[in-house]
Amino acid sequence: MPKSGTLIRSTAVAGLAAVVAAVAVSAAGAAPAKRSATVLQGAGSSLIAPALAIWQPLYSQARGVVVNYSAVGSGAGIAAISARTVDFGASDAPMTPDQATGCKGCVQIPWALTATVPVYNIPGVPDTRLHLDGPTLANIFLGNIKTWDDPAIKKLNPGANLPSTKIVVVHRSDGSGDTYVFTDYLSKVSPTWKSKVGSATSVSWPTGVGGAKNAGVAAIVAQTPGSIGYISDAYVIQNHIAKAQMKNAAGHYTLPSVTSIEAAAQLVKSVPADNAISITNPPASPKYKYAWPLSTFTYVIVPQQTAKAKDLKNFITWALTHGQAPIRKFVFAPMPLVVIKAANKSLKQVHS
Amino acid sequence: MSTLDATTESTRRLSGRRVHLGDLILQLVAGAATLAALVLVFLIVWKVIDGARPAIEQFGVGFVTHVGWDPVKQVFGAGSFLFGTAVTSLVALLLAAPLSLGIALFLTELAPGAIRGPVTALVETLAAIPSVVIGLWGILVLGPVLSDHVEPFLHDTLGFIPLFGTPGSGSSMFTAIIVLTIMILPIVSSISRELFLGVPSELKEAALGLGTTRWEMVRGVMFPYARGGIAAALILGLGRALGEAIAVTQVIGAFVGIQWNLFSPGDTLASRIAAEYQGATSNLEVASLIYLGLILLVFSLLVNLLAQWIVRTVARRQGLAS
Repeated sequence: MPKSGTLIRSTAVAGLAAVVAAVAVSAAGAAPAKRSATVLQGAGSSLIAPALAIWQPLYSQARGVVVNYSAVGSGAGIAAISARTVDFGASDAPMTPDQATGCKGCVQIPWALTATVPVYNIPGVPDTRLHLDGPTLANIFLGNIKTWDDPAIKKLNPGANLPSTKIVVVHRSDGSGDTYVFTDYLSKVSPTWKSKVGSATSVSWPTGVGGAKNAGVAAIVAQTPGSIGYISDAYVIQNHIAKAQMKNAAGHYTLPSVTSIEAAAQLVKSVPADNAISITNPPASPKYKYAWPLSTFTYVIVPQQTAKAKDLKNFITWALTHGQAPIRKFVFAPMPLVVIKAANKSLKQVHS
Repeated sequence: MSTLDATTESTRRLSGRRVHLGDLILQLVAGAATLAALVLVFLIVWKVIDGARPAIEQFGVGFVTHVGWDPVKQVFGAGSFLFGTAVTSLVALLLAAPLSLGIALFLTELAPGAIRGPVTALVETLAAIPSVVIGLWGILVLGPVLSDHVEPFLHDTLGFIPLFGTPGSGSSMFTAIIVLTIMILPIVSSISRELFLGVPSELKEAALGLGTTRWEMVRGVMFPYARGGIAAALILGLGRALGEAIAVTQVIGAFVGIQWNLFSPGDTLASRIAAEYQGATSNLEVASLIYLGLILLVFSLLVNLLAQWIVRTVARRQGLAS
């Protein structure tokens, strides 16, 4: 009886091993069967989610490693990696001091470069026809500008057919990297915003309606005439919402694109030890003439000491190199060399 | 003789012991289950108080009434969420009460026999819809309908009441109220239906035999008979509304502050916890969110006690009257 049990079990194990080996061979060619069982579990930022959706099949094809990712939001991703319920977290905002302490020896590594964009729903104003500058955007979100035919907006949009509709401000209700980028930018262009509201992944909004996640903000903006909000650029493509042109500090109207985000990223001269980089609102210089002012790096967060150190390092190195080109179509720009070097340096701290 | 005695003795003891053993196991299992539930409640309460301690030390009792929630300046308060929770839950209950009593009466007294079964099942299905689905429907369908048609109408006809101010976007306390009403409805109506079914038919027939109309019978016999139960059902529904997080988060608009206009956004205790807990960026913010949880816990406990008190009082009064 015990003998047959063992027999059944060993047969099952052998069968499973055969299946696994077959999968590994078909997926990874000559990859050794032993490595095929590796699964990397990740959670966090919804901004990076479209990139991960592209990376997952490519990486499993290239290296036979399965990467699972749930887009629960940047803050939730940091919470998950702090509790070690995942192998890596992803956040668009660098960790706050409390979060860094709570994560007990984590490193944050920039691994993609993208943008947040103001979106709107104004009857009679088609996609990209709305022009805004930083101070005006701040005044709208402060509740100082209340209607679309306000002189401040009219001045930036000569010839546009702006209605007298009330402005409905839409923001994120959950802790979000997009909110961080957006409020970081507003704090740089408006002293009032900086002193009254400030910048963080979640702030005390002076006015407006909150929607849950990018999808929630997109839904409210799409349904509410007169509304303005902000979402990750990758989600604008999916939701067909009108995005606004922003006047950068150099005085030019731009839209988020690989080129305009790359232009903003020239701002990075050196990277601090904790890799926290802000590239919003690049200065008024011809160098940044075409820069998108709401660009942002987004981070992968891993424990310094982890049993899966080798697999994580392989995956992140792959994402930083092979992974960059295929995600360009979702407006992820190539990262500057200095940032890639810093990322590699941080990766060296990860060990098992 | 003595061996025989010993044998019977031991058999008796054995059989007695066997019965005793079963009882003992039953007692142990049931006791352990009860104890586990009690311990769990205490652990939860203790854990919640422990987690909220940093916020309690920082803000004291003033937290409960302070209106504001600023993660940047690290100043938190529960005032606006308490307001939002109370307004949305109470108005939802106010709307749900007549509707669910109507449904229950229709299904027990008025509906033709053939449709009673299917309609009852359908109403109860409403309770089985996951709240996240109701929330999605709320944001995609209900919100726009309310803000485009219902809110302007209410504002034009009842605008003199501050509750019906200028219509806003679809995300508002009003949308949350309607969503909550839909979620309370099946609970209250199915309990009331059971209660109405429990009214002895002799009482009803006697009333009808005395020449009362159906409405007089309902008002004079069925309502008084089921009064305590209906009150308990309503309080149960209120408890559901107080604690609902996900669907409310999706439609309420997460506004911090006190606005009497139901068409403006607001926020509730449960929805703020659901929206911010995972993304909280500081230890004090986490503690403040748990403090909100503690307030919600106390609130729900009070509601529960109130329900029990109402049921007991009504039952006693009925006992005295008869």
